[in-house]
Amino acid sequence: MFLSTEHQQVADMTRRFADQVIRPEAERLDREEAFAGEIYQQMAQNGLFGITVPEAYGGAGLDCLAYSIVMEELSRGYASVADQCGLVELFGTMLCKYGTEAQKAQWIGPLIRAELRGAYCITEAGAGSDVSGIKTTATKDGGGWKLTGSKLWIHNAPVADVAFVLARTDPQAGKRGMSIFIVDCNKAGVTRGPKEHKLGQRSSQVGELNFDNVAVPADGLLGVEGRGFHMMMSVLEKGRVGIGALAVGIIQAALEASIAQAKLRQQFGHAIAEFQAIQFLLADMAKDAEAARLLVRSAAMKMDAGLDAAMAASMAKCFAGDAAVAQASNAVQIFGGSGFIRGYEVERLYRDAKITQIYEGTNQIQRVIIARKLLE
Amino acid sequence: MKILVPVKRVVDYNVKVRVKTDGSDVDIASAKMSMNPFDEIAIEEAVRLKEAGVASEVIAVSAGVAACQDTLRTALALGADRAILIETEVEMQPLSVAKLLAAICAKELPQLVLCGKQAIDDDASQTGQMLAALMHWPQATFASKVAVGEGARQALVTREVDGGQETVDVLLPAVVTTDLRLNEPRYATLPNIMKAKRKQLDRVTPDELGVDITPRLKTLKVAEPPKRAAGVKVADVAELVEKLKSAGVIA
Repeated sequence: MFLSTEHQQVADMTRRFADQVIRPEAERLDREEAFAGEIYQQMAQNGLFGITVPEAYGGAGLDCLAYSIVMEELSRGYASVADQCGLVELFGTMLCKYGTEAQKAQWIGPLIRAELRGAYCITEAGAGSDVSGIKTTATKDGGGWKLTGSKLWIHNAPVADVAFVLARTDPQAGKRGMSIFIVDCNKAGVTRGPKEHKLGQRSSQVGELNFDNVAVPADGLLGVEGRGFHMMMSVLEKGRVGIGALAVGIIQAALEASIAQAKLRQQFGHAIAEFQAIQFLLADMAKDAEAARLLVRSAAMKMDAGLDAAMAASMAKCFAGDAAVAQASNAVQIFGGSGFIRGYEVERLYRDAKITQIYEGTNQIQRVIIARKLLE
Repeated sequence: MKILVPVKRVVDYNVKVRVKTDGSDVDIASAKMSMNPFDEIAIEEAVRLKEAGVASEVIAVSAGVAACQDTLRTALALGADRAILIETEVEMQPLSVAKLLAAICAKELPQLVLCGKQAIDDDASQTGQMLAALMHWPQATFASKVAVGEGARQALVTREVDGGQETVDVLLPAVVTTDLRLNEPRYATLPNIMKAKRKQLDRVTPDELGVDITPRLKTLKVAEPPKRAAGVKVADVAELVEKLKSAGVIA
C-alpha cells in the first residue's frame, strides 16, 4: 500500500526499532515470562506510546492509520510489546475523550512516558463477551465512592499502578448503570492474584485484580456517571484496529521467517523453496498478510475520516486474527520438526497468534457485529 | 555556528539491487529508498553539536529529484532545523553536487560542513573532498571523532586511517566527512516526525544557483559481479595444500 512520507517514516522508524531493540529480546521475554520494562522505557523515549494522543498532552498526535502501522511493526518484533502500546493507546484515547483537564494532566503524561503502568479492567469470571454481566459495584460514599469486585485476566494486573475499572453504579439500570473509575492500585483494599501462565504473548503480565471496599475519590470517576458501558464500547473500534494490526505483524514475521527457512533448508538435493508445495504456502501467507493489512488500514482510515468504522474494524480484527492463527500454523509446517521446538521464532508466533482470535472481542462476537450491520 | 549537512537519497541498504536488462544502470524503479547511512551519522553529529550548545543551526541539503524531500524530512525529524532541496532531474555526479554545495555554502556561510564519507550507491567518496577544494577550505575525512574548539575557530578531528587513527587540527570553516564509528544515530521519534512536517524546506534549482551540472562522466556499462563458484570440502590440511598448489595459488 502506498503511504505518505510521514506514514512511511513512522513505518521505517518503528521497524528499525523493532529489529534492533525488540526482536533480539523476544525469545528471552517469552521464555522467562518477563515484563519488558526496559523496552517500554525506550519506546517512551522514542514516542512509541500514545500515538494518536495530541501533542499538547505529550503524545505523537498522529492518526489511526499511523497507529495501525506502529502496532503492526512492533508486533512483527514481538506481539506482547505491541499489546502494551495498544493498552496505553486505549488509556490515552479514553482520557482525551472523556477526562477532565485535571485527569488528563494527572494521568496521560505518566502513562505515555511509561512511568506508570495501567490496567484496563472489564472482564470478570461471569462477564467475558457479555460485559453486561459484570458484578463489580461502586456505591456513593460521602463525596466519593466505594468500589468492590473482582476482575479477571487483566493485562498488567501484576504490575499496575493505576486501574481503569468498569463497575455498576446503578444496579437497576443495566448497561446504562455502569461507570468507569480511575483507581490507584496502591490504595488499601486493592489486591492482586498471581500472574497467569499463558500459552502465548507470555511477556504480557496478566492476572486478577481485586477491589475490596476501595475508597475512590470523586475525581476518580471518568466521564459521566452511568455512561461507562457506552464509553468503553466507543474506544473498542480503535482497539480492534490495533489488535488486527498486531495480528498482521505476526503473519508478516511468520512469512519472513518461512521465506528464509525455505531458501536455506535442503531436502532431496534442493532448497525446499523450489517445491511448489512450499511455494503455495508462502504465496497464501503473503496474500493473507496483505489482505489483512489492507482491511486493518481501511478501517483505520475510515476512523480518521470520521466515518462509521464498526463493521470495518470487526472485519479487520476477525480476518487478521483468523489468518494469523492459520498462517503461523503454516509457518510451523514449513519448518517441520524444528518449528515445534522452543526457541524457534515460528513456534512462538504460533502460540502468540491464538489470543488474537479471543481478546478485544472474540472472533465470534466480531461476526455477530458484522452480521448485525448487514441485517440492519 | 552553522552546520551544513548534505544528505543523499539512496537505495535502502536492505534492498538487493538488480541491474537493468540493458546494462545502463541499477534498476531502482520500485526499490525502497532511504537516507545514505553515513549521512545519517553526519546529521546525528550535527544535532549533538547543537544539543551541546556548540552549533546554533543545522541545515540539511539534498540535490536531486523531488522525492529527495522525503530524505530531507527524515533529516528534519532527526533534528535538523531546516532543509534545502536543490531540485533537478539531471543525473547527479560528485563534481556537480560539490559545485551546488559550494553555491549553498557561499549563501549560507556555514562554519562546518558535515557529510557522509561516501554514499552506499556509487561509493565514489569524492563529494566532500571536491567541495573542500572548491571552497579552499581544509578537509578532514573519515572522522571517528569531532571536537570543535572554543569560539568555533578550529576543530580536532580524529580520522580512521589505514593502520590506526590520526588526529588533525583544522581551521574552520572546514569540511568533515563521517566514518561509521563516529556515533550511533538516534531514531526519528514519532513526535519529531510530526514536528518535521512544520519545519522550513526551501527549494532552489541549479539554474537559480548559477551552477552548470551537465554530467562530465559517462557510464559505459553496469554489470552484476560475477557469481561465486561453488566451493569444495577438503578432508584435511594435506588435501587443502594439494588443491591450492594445483590451483596455482601457492607454490
